[in-house]
Amino acid sequence: MSRNAGRFIRMSYLVASVAGVLFFAMSIALLGIWPGRVLEDETRSMSPAHPLGLSVSEQRGRVIYGREGCAYCHTQQIRYLHSDMARFGAPTLAWETRFDYPHLWGTRRIGPDLAREGATHSEDWHFSHLYSPRTLVEDSVMPPYPSMFDGSADRPRQEARDLVAYLDTLGRARELAGPEGEAHARAACNCPNDEMAQMAFHATALNANPARARRLGSGPKLAPNGDLVRGQQLYLHNCASCHGLRGEADGAGAVALHPQPANLAGHEYTLDRLGYVLWNGVAGTAMQAWRDLPAEDLAAIAQAVHGFHVAQQEPTLPANIVDLGAQVYTANCVQCHGERGAGDGSAVGELRMSPADFRGARPSLAESLRALRNGVEGTPMAPWTGRLSEAELSAVAYYVRGFFQGAR
Amino acid sequence: MQENANRIAAPPVETRLVYAHGLAAIVTLLISVTFGILASVELFLPDLGANHAWLSWGRLRYDHTQGIMLGWLGNAFFAFLYHAVPLLTGRPVTSARLGQWIFGLWNFAVVAPGWVLVLAGFSQPLEWAEFPIIVDVFVVLALVLAIVQFLPPFFWRGLEDLYVSSWYVIGALVFTLLAYPMGNFVPEFIPGARGAAFSGLWIHDAVGLYVTPLALAIIYFVIPAATRRPIFSHFLSMLGFWLLFFLYPLNGTHHYVFSVIPMSAQIGAITASALLGVDVIIVVANLLLSLRGAGVFPRDVALRFVAMSTIFYLVVSIQGSVQAQMSVNQAIHFSDWVIGHSHLAMLGFATFAAAGGLVHVWQRIPWVRYNDPAIEVSYWLLFAGVVLMVTDLTIAGLVEAHLWQSAAPWLDSVRAARPYWIIRTGSAFPIAAGFIALLVGLTTGPRGAGLRSVEQTIGLEPVREIAPRLAPAVSEVQ
Repeated sequence: MSRNAGRFIRMSYLVASVAGVLFFAMSIALLGIWPGRVLEDETRSMSPAHPLGLSVSEQRGRVIYGREGCAYCHTQQIRYLHSDMARFGAPTLAWETRFDYPHLWGTRRIGPDLAREGATHSEDWHFSHLYSPRTLVEDSVMPPYPSMFDGSADRPRQEARDLVAYLDTLGRARELAGPEGEAHARAACNCPNDEMAQMAFHATALNANPARARRLGSGPKLAPNGDLVRGQQLYLHNCASCHGLRGEADGAGAVALHPQPANLAGHEYTLDRLGYVLWNGVAGTAMQAWRDLPAEDLAAIAQAVHGFHVAQQEPTLPANIVDLGAQVYTANCVQCHGERGAGDGSAVGELRMSPADFRGARPSLAESLRALRNGVEGTPMAPWTGRLSEAELSAVAYYVRGFFQGAR
Repeated sequence: MQENANRIAAPPVETRLVYAHGLAAIVTLLISVTFGILASVELFLPDLGANHAWLSWGRLRYDHTQGIMLGWLGNAFFAFLYHAVPLLTGRPVTSARLGQWIFGLWNFAVVAPGWVLVLAGFSQPLEWAEFPIIVDVFVVLALVLAIVQFLPPFFWRGLEDLYVSSWYVIGALVFTLLAYPMGNFVPEFIPGARGAAFSGLWIHDAVGLYVTPLALAIIYFVIPAATRRPIFSHFLSMLGFWLLFFLYPLNGTHHYVFSVIPMSAQIGAITASALLGVDVIIVVANLLLSLRGAGVFPRDVALRFVAMSTIFYLVVSIQGSVQAQMSVNQAIHFSDWVIGHSHLAMLGFATFAAAGGLVHVWQRIPWVRYNDPAIEVSYWLLFAGVVLMVTDLTIAGLVEAHLWQSAAPWLDSVRAARPYWIIRTGSAFPIAAGFIALLVGLTTGPRGAGLRSVEQTIGLEPVREIAPRLAPAVSEVQ
């Protein structure tokens, strides 16, 4: 090798080495620092002035979430894609992650994305699900975490409380920012022609999780001739874990739920009510919505639920007892359950869940009495034995059954 | 002439450090594989670890990947470096005593405590960075010591004579040290989306600047050593090397396509990913042309490992270039397809290179035991296992992607994946058996059988050339 060639090669290697280091530095600058600055600006301009951070308990829950590798099955990042938005909601904005040290975006989804999990499932649902996922969701593959509990799902230790508290914060900041927050962010983005950026502001729902219960909504009109066999199969795999094989609210998942799942065998339901509950869930309870099931499946489930009810000969009570029931109802129940028993009394706005709607669901006499005597745990419905006499209890237990709007 | 003189006067290889790292590699490999198998079983028997928090899926998953990356590949790379660096440079590594420190640090301050801490619930939820920060400090320390140990010999004679393997070794050690803190420390201090941008860089740099260059260093080393022919083109080898180091770091953001990270950064990374495929074609073409005549399944089993590694490298890289493209990425991202991809990279490409390097090195240490039939068995078991696993996971990913695009309930994708997860665990058994066979192959059989195996498959000449350099260890043993 001539001396010149040697020098040339040495020089070119030197140049290449310097270039190599520069390229590495460039990668950090172009893909780390520069995007970081853009994201920081976005965060500053689009964030509400004082977004809520995490409490101490929520912060501890976040550490547990990291420690157990939750992020390796559940992403916390809704992408700017219609398929993501349809399942989970509005794409994740930079400012929503501003307190995430370190980020928990994840790169694998075995379970669903959790970026908007907050206010999607109830606390008791989470406890039961963490303690033993398959007692609620038969085909789940989520690991159980019984070590965070004292032997049962309704005895969570601090770890479980912290973790569930954290789960309830996911998506909270954006939810709290409300429409004003969205408007502010859109104005700050100032990007009317950036199609992708606009997707973040034009999602049909901030939280599109089909399981999320909502208090105000409308239900689909279910076909009255649902496929019973299919309905029974669907019921078996999706509902029986809590409501029990025969609809008697005695599934394994029912143990730690407050309130307890509805006793389907002890009620008679209108088709509309079933459609409403399946579509919207029951907000404030562990009953999730099933908006990811097609309408014919919901109709089929309704058939299966109707099958639990055994029609009985209704006793005819003397008029004075009916009158007594009406008096008691008007004096004590109407504020919550409403004049027509639709669960729309004047106090409803102050309750954290909707009172029973007697027009859509007629409890059996036994169920009705049970609720009056014991109250309904986990709901604002208190026991009435201290305030009403036996006769009054029986009378009103019977009376509320009269609101029912027709068979099926 | 001077060069030849240097080469003949090549210093002895620290064979005991080769041996120690080689054994540690396979032991940590078997442990990591056990973590992986347990985690894979928990996907269809999720209550398996119910009563033991340390057996829960997340912790096993952390230990699986960290053990493979640091325990298995790290030790295997070190074993290879102790053999290759003196032969490439004609100089001994800096210090055998330093080598003992690096060995101790790597295995007893990084891998073992990292595993235990993760199982005990101390970790960080960042990909390829799951060991807790305290362990990362020791990784960085060990990487600094590794640079002190292995790099000075390269600069002894100037850079113009360096063979491509030397470049890959230098590049890997320097850039791993630079990149490691980015994925392991930065996201703890920079939150959310901003931190994720750095995470993305590290996720790719871990593969691109640590695993790939060292695996390629092995392949480029073993092919000419085992075929006794120079590689096809030194020019292409250097072109491939520099393109790799220019392009790999620019890929990182492709892990977060369609995220809030600025679109221009995403598009830049996607473009770099496509170009990277071109670079890999250059590298692999050069390697396959260097293999010409030896066939896809050469007789020498070490060469056969690296030949298959080369082919896996081509497939996984083209796959990577394709799946970074938006139209593909939007569907298969987050699915088992990606898990298949990473197994093709780490278990196919990197593990086959590391195993080939280990076997190659073992064959040339006269005092170690070597069991040729066991290694033959190992090769075929691993080959069958990898192909089955990657095929299975790729199909699973497509099924999941299809269901996610539809309106089907989320749980349908979990139900549909179940049979594929069972097959995946099934595929882990030939793989685990293959690794046990590898352990058997490197610890049983007559001492010096490796040399005889090389004589049979390649011929006497190279053995004569290399064995004298390893002689001191032989005399020590005898």
